[in-house]
Amino acid sequence: MRRLAAPDPSLSGGALCATGFVLIGWPSLFAAALGIELVAAGFWCWGRAAEDRAEQLPRWAWLRRPASALWLAAGLHAVVRDTGLGVLPALQTLPGAVARVEALAVLWGALELMAALPLARPFSDRPGPLSATGPWLPVMLPAAGFLVLWRHAAHWTMVPEVRTAALVLLLVTACLAALRAFGRRPWTASLRWLAVADCALGGTLVALHAVPDESALLLWLAACGGHALLLAGELGGAAPRRGPHPHRLWRVAAWTALASLSWPVLATLGFGPPGVANPVFALAAACAVALAAWVSVRRLVAAPERRSMVRREAAVPLIQIGALATMAAGPVALLIAWWSGFEPRWTDSLASLTPALAGGWAAGLGGSLGLAGLAPRLTATGGRARRVAQAAFHGVVRFERRLVALLARLALALIAPARDLHTGDAQEFLLFLAGVAVLALVLPLLR
Amino acid sequence: MNAPVLSVPARLVAAMDAATPLTVSGGATLGLLLAGVVLLGLERRGRWSPVSLAVLAALAFAIAWAPLARPGWALLAAGLVAAALARDRDDPLHAECALKLVWVIGPALALSWAGLSLLTLATGTPVAIEQWAVLQLGLDPRFLWSTALPLALLAGLVLLGGAPFHFWVADVLQGVRPWLAASAVVALQVSGAAWLSRRLEGIGGFPAGRELVSDLLGIAAFAAFAAGAATLLVQRRPERRVGTLASLNGALMLAALAAGRPPGPAALASWAGHLALALAGAATVARFLPTFAGPAPGAPLFRRHPWSGIAGLYALASLAGVPGTPGAMLWLASARSRAAAGRTGLLLVLAAAWLAALTAAMRQWRQAFGVSATATAALRPGPVPLQARLALWIAALGLVALGAARLWRA
Repeated sequence: MRRLAAPDPSLSGGALCATGFVLIGWPSLFAAALGIELVAAGFWCWGRAAEDRAEQLPRWAWLRRPASALWLAAGLHAVVRDTGLGVLPALQTLPGAVARVEALAVLWGALELMAALPLARPFSDRPGPLSATGPWLPVMLPAAGFLVLWRHAAHWTMVPEVRTAALVLLLVTACLAALRAFGRRPWTASLRWLAVADCALGGTLVALHAVPDESALLLWLAACGGHALLLAGELGGAAPRRGPHPHRLWRVAAWTALASLSWPVLATLGFGPPGVANPVFALAAACAVALAAWVSVRRLVAAPERRSMVRREAAVPLIQIGALATMAAGPVALLIAWWSGFEPRWTDSLASLTPALAGGWAAGLGGSLGLAGLAPRLTATGGRARRVAQAAFHGVVRFERRLVALLARLALALIAPARDLHTGDAQEFLLFLAGVAVLALVLPLLR
Repeated sequence: MNAPVLSVPARLVAAMDAATPLTVSGGATLGLLLAGVVLLGLERRGRWSPVSLAVLAALAFAIAWAPLARPGWALLAAGLVAAALARDRDDPLHAECALKLVWVIGPALALSWAGLSLLTLATGTPVAIEQWAVLQLGLDPRFLWSTALPLALLAGLVLLGGAPFHFWVADVLQGVRPWLAASAVVALQVSGAAWLSRRLEGIGGFPAGRELVSDLLGIAAFAAFAAGAATLLVQRRPERRVGTLASLNGALMLAALAAGRPPGPAALASWAGHLALALAGAATVARFLPTFAGPAPGAPLFRRHPWSGIAGLYALASLAGVPGTPGAMLWLASARSRAAAGRTGLLLVLAAAWLAALTAAMRQWRQAFGVSATATAALRPGPVPLQARLALWIAALGLVALGAARLWRA
């Protein structure tokens, strides 16, 4: 009997990831956990078949951690269903403790996927485990993280401490991702980091609850989806950058999407109601937005047409439709938000849009305002600034890794006596039993 | 007092109620027995005899009957396992396991016997329910019964295999021949559960004792979950991982007993039946899994017969409580009962242990399939014995039936 051929790893991995994303969008924690598990399995499928599998398998092994965190959240939710969505029980009660652990677990799973935890932060630096589409694959992970945050916002935003911790971590991530996008020379790597920054800003918007859920999703989809499309186009022959019109259209689209996302974030953090507004957070978000806007516009340079005979394409290329959709989605989302009650004062709005405007304007400085003479000086300064950005990012990552290693060593030192307790010697068994028997006798007497 | 006279239909219903636990544990044990007998065929000539079959049958009987058994059966089960292990003179690992078991279970039983004797001396009766009634009168000094009661429970704790007594489970699964390993472990664990259940029968009538038992078993369950979870994450040998998973299942029973209200025969039978089938499959598949030492091509079983391998891994997943398996229902039921009792610490440590078990199961799946064989120059693997594959399928189908039955009853 002939054996069935083994499925193509690239297809099976793709199918697993696609199913995973469908499940992540489902409003159930179990579905989300299974979804992340399937995405992790998809990366494993690709990794085990890759030529450099010795590198790829350990590189993506961390993907099981967010899945585990979500399994924990799902399990706890199944055990204690009435953890008080809407009303948070006191910490001393069982539902209160469970609700907090559940919120932390959801946040852990989502933030780790968004490179917002110090454990696997630099994953966007490297391409994924497939040879052709590998550089695009890591974009899926922060997107999955945002979807978890957005879909299960009720589980983690109701715990104030968890919400504050999420805001801090997301804003730090937005700054670091923008810094890294600026520091990396290859445009594909910068795009992956811009997607991380978009997701972090989107997560901040969810935490602030400044706009309706649908609006937040659309704003994120415009910003992150735009950068993901740009990356896909870049891998397909740099189509978005070929020719002056597509290039300009994509610049405007990416900037519009980012500006639309940043508007409600900065308006709420800078000028929101007391208890929500925080000048330090607003400053961090403004820095991240300005830098991301600069990179989005400045690095998108027109690609020269090297072909002697231009390939015939459709009247309206698919990638240009993507640019139009990216450009339209942000304003449409803001319109929905305005319809639902998001009405900041015009001065606040202007101030909120300033970082995006400044970043975009600075990026278009050389070309559009006739200041081309400044270009060599700017290039020299840009090189130094990029090195500073790289050093800053690596410094932060190194510090975080040392901190995590220190904690791990501390934990190992604590459990070392327990590991040494049993060496397999039969004599020990009896001694151990005697010890536990004495303990069992002493414990009731101590009560 | 005369028993009330029941009508014929009522007698039938009562008989069915009494028979249900035995049906569940009996059906599952039949699967375990079948798997054991099939695996016996893997032994070379001269290493098995009709006595081996008799040992398997006796252990199966002990497991099936455990929900209704007396505590004294634990002694018989432990003696039978030790004797069966010591009988094989050619296998040093069997002798070592026998020695370790006798070394730890013997003194534990002796200490428990001392505790039981003290209780009998204090109350004047060996029957547990009567002992609680006498102690409730408050005539005996607290020191006496609060010393005797923990001692009387010690044998059950050791036999259940919850950490810190988890080492014997892993040792037996690693060192004992495949046909006997699962049956021996299940028989001893189920005997431990039966010991504790019978000893604590009716303790609700003695609140002070119930409180003491609840605290002690709560601490034991906490330690079993925490130590079991930590152990699971650092283990590399698949057989030992399966052993620790079995010990975590023992901890589940401890957590149920920590409520101070022993589980009824139906709950005990359900737990025992699942343990029997899951361990039959998991212990068998563990023999074919590699000890992890970096990315390598999958184990021969998974490259040559992937569906049989998946059947074995299903049993392992059920032992670990992976969602969608019958084992997950047991974990969930145990967690819900902890939540209902308001024991936050025990619930959270149970959740941590479940997560560790889930992680171990997932890791095992990946290591079993390894890196793609087509991407490497790996040779075509040799055939895997039919008996082993048959045992894996018996366990997996049994678990599916058990899960379906539970769902149907729910």
